[in-house]
Amino acid sequence: MKAGARGAHRRLHLGRTGATGVAVLGVLAAIAAAAPVLAPFDPGARVGAPFSPPSTTHLLGTNDVGQDLLSELVFGARASLAVGLAAAAASTAIGTAIGLTAGYARGWVDTVLMRIVDVVLSLPFLPLAIVIGVVLGPGLATLVLLIAAVTWAGTARSLRSQVLAVRELDHVSAARAMGATTSHVLWRHVLVDVTPLVVPQFVLAAKVAILLEASLSFLGLGDRTTRSWGTTLSFAFERSAFLTDAWLWWVVPPGACIALAVLGFSLVGYGIEEMSRPRLRRRPAPVWQRQSVPAGSAAAGESAPVPVLEIVDLGVRYDTPSGAVLALDGVSLTVAAGEVVGLIGESGSGKSTVVTAAAGLLRAPAVVTHGGVFLDGEELGALSPDELRRRRGTRVALVPQEAMAALNPVLSVGDQVVEAIRAHQPLSRAQGRARAAQLLAMVGIDPARAGDHPHQFSGGMRQRIVIAMALANEPAVLIADEPTTGLDLVTAADVLRLLASLQARLGMAMLVVSHDLPAVLGLATRVIVLEDGRVVEEGTGERVSSLPSHPHTKALIDAIPRLRPPSPAVPERVP
Amino acid sequence: MAQYALVLWAAISLNFLLPHLAPGDPVDVFTGDANALNAEERARLRADYDLDGSLAEQYGRSWARLARGDLGTSVRYSRPVASVLADRLPWTLALVGLATVIAFAIGVAAGASAARRRGRRSDVVAVSGLMALDAMPGFWIGMVLLAVFAVQLGWLPSFGAVPLDAAPPSLAWLSEVGRRLVLPVATLVLATVGSTFLLARAAMVSALEAPYVGLAEAAGLSPRRIVYRHALRNALLPLFTHLTLTLGTLLSGAVVVETVFSYPGLGRVAFEAVQARDYALLQGAFLLVTVTVIAANVVADLAYPWLDPRVRRAPMVKPA
Repeated sequence: MKAGARGAHRRLHLGRTGATGVAVLGVLAAIAAAAPVLAPFDPGARVGAPFSPPSTTHLLGTNDVGQDLLSELVFGARASLAVGLAAAAASTAIGTAIGLTAGYARGWVDTVLMRIVDVVLSLPFLPLAIVIGVVLGPGLATLVLLIAAVTWAGTARSLRSQVLAVRELDHVSAARAMGATTSHVLWRHVLVDVTPLVVPQFVLAAKVAILLEASLSFLGLGDRTTRSWGTTLSFAFERSAFLTDAWLWWVVPPGACIALAVLGFSLVGYGIEEMSRPRLRRRPAPVWQRQSVPAGSAAAGESAPVPVLEIVDLGVRYDTPSGAVLALDGVSLTVAAGEVVGLIGESGSGKSTVVTAAAGLLRAPAVVTHGGVFLDGEELGALSPDELRRRRGTRVALVPQEAMAALNPVLSVGDQVVEAIRAHQPLSRAQGRARAAQLLAMVGIDPARAGDHPHQFSGGMRQRIVIAMALANEPAVLIADEPTTGLDLVTAADVLRLLASLQARLGMAMLVVSHDLPAVLGLATRVIVLEDGRVVEEGTGERVSSLPSHPHTKALIDAIPRLRPPSPAVPERVP
Repeated sequence: MAQYALVLWAAISLNFLLPHLAPGDPVDVFTGDANALNAEERARLRADYDLDGSLAEQYGRSWARLARGDLGTSVRYSRPVASVLADRLPWTLALVGLATVIAFAIGVAAGASAARRRGRRSDVVAVSGLMALDAMPGFWIGMVLLAVFAVQLGWLPSFGAVPLDAAPPSLAWLSEVGRRLVLPVATLVLATVGSTFLLARAAMVSALEAPYVGLAEAAGLSPRRIVYRHALRNALLPLFTHLTLTLGTLLSGAVVVETVFSYPGLGRVAFEAVQARDYALLQGAFLLVTVTVIAANVVADLAYPWLDPRVRRAPMVKPA
């Protein structure tokens, strides 16, 4: 029900690309339908001298037997589109049936069907079509059959994988559990969910079918008596039309028509794809669209030490297709040199936005509505992208959320650490490697494993490697975003101890962001509580945990399961 | 590997079965011209094409012949099919190999750069242009190039693969062979680069949203490095897989392009076989194209671990 409503809503947003495609196809279809009216002559009649160049009576000239080429072109739309659409329909129908059967039946039926699909997909389709075509003899029906026979397998494969996904949807499982018959489930539920997936398959099949029709007709496997654009080109080729000026009116127009029809389907297909992946359209650009530069405390006090990181009255909004969402509503916080600050909040409180803004990584659809972020007293919004880049890693470093999944899977971990170093320091490769070895040793990773790839390490080890990367250029402030999420308790405690000891040893400032209050209390001297994009509580870790003034903080504290009163984690001595 | 054996078996069996499935006498399929034959000729041809005995016996004998490397005799050339095809294979390999490498390189480079600039004017122009190119039939691109560059401008030769007035292995011969490759290769590149481009762009869009890109950005790496070393390196994996899956398509493209340029490859031979209704030759060409696709896939499978460290079997130490 919900999916259907969303589908209808999406159709309205086919976009300019898709709409252009629909328009192109509409015009071609209209030409095909109105061919007898539009064509000046009967395409089969000899109405002029053979090989006439274009004239007022024959706008595109005549062919080798004196038939009017414009009329042939107009009538060609009929055969080309009819064969293309019929073949696409047949191909989609076969592919959908096989895909549904395989995906729903699973087991040996699935195995056998998918084996056949794989074999068909591996056979070179045009030579296969030629072999079948020669056996069947030329003709329009042969063309439709051939095209369907060599193109259904792709549809079957993608439908099957989508059916496997649909099968697991709640309402389908529920219907099965309530004893609905297989065919009932298949038709009522799966088909309703799968229909939106069949449409793009048909569009793709139509595009392939029209091109294949042209190729097969060109090779002489089409119906030689019914002129399609492909057969026209086939005759033009046999009469060597390209050796004279005749190529301009005999060869170019039918090919352009084929290209136009195929392009029409491509555009519709692309429009459908764009609907499901709006990111294909535009790459999010960095945005700092503030109306005015705020007068932060950073600019005000000259005598007071400048904080490493200062966020002043920051407001951030996300402009999503379904409306604007306010993420931060006037958040202010400071992190002084060497200080460890904890930022607490539940998911959706705006923590991630604070992190992204502090690391200078805010992107559209985020819009900074007011306030700003200051790093060493410099406003990030006033920096060029390159100046911002040079400060990332050196002044502010980030250990992102899910850090254990953040390493590049195809590069060795050593290379990734070296790269982080050499992005900011003029070191040789060898010097970079030596420094990387030091960093890896510092976080407890054997430097001899620098040549290994991320998948060869455990989650906790990968987290340590990401921390080593963040420390590569001795940042003034390290932002750790949910440093324990996704780790088991023991590993999480190890990572927290490592962060505490590294902070003590390197003396950098740290902003630890988490929904996990005990994790933060163990590290931070000062804690800030965020709720719905606002700071609701701020104070020392002890005060916040013992005397929470805001009901939300109290709720957070009460939610901690405990066996004994919380105690700050003991910093481990660094090897 | 089992999959490849299955494909090979399917190709051979289809070759065998199709003439028998067709309405009428298989002899008609093999010779193409049924009316010209009297009963005596029919019987002789039946023996020639080994169509006596039950279907199972014939099927068994067809395997035995294949095992000896006997693909039958070409009616058109009055020579063993195997020897006709052996002459043609190198030309197709040169043509398709060159076109594949060039189209892949251009498509991936352009796709990566478009993904980086997506939404901007240059991206919109590139996407529309390459989508239009992708919509054009390959043989038509060939005919237009032929008309413009060979006939109208006279810059390049219009047909064949080898010059008649020079002999190998002279430099003149080689340069003439190269000149004759230009238009067919350009045609194949133009006909296939669009789909590679669109795929590369989509793969890059996905890669640019991967967590490792966020990490690289946070580390302050240059945008160029992030796009080309991190995102592109990962996007190459699905693109390489796609390339191996579409080798059949590329060889199919060669059929029509070779026909347009009268290029003496496997595709042209398939066309000639269709024209002459030389079924044995057509069967042989189909089988050889299939074997070529399988061979290329095997090579690609062997090369894949080199691209993706996650599928390397033994823990390999990367040479520094």
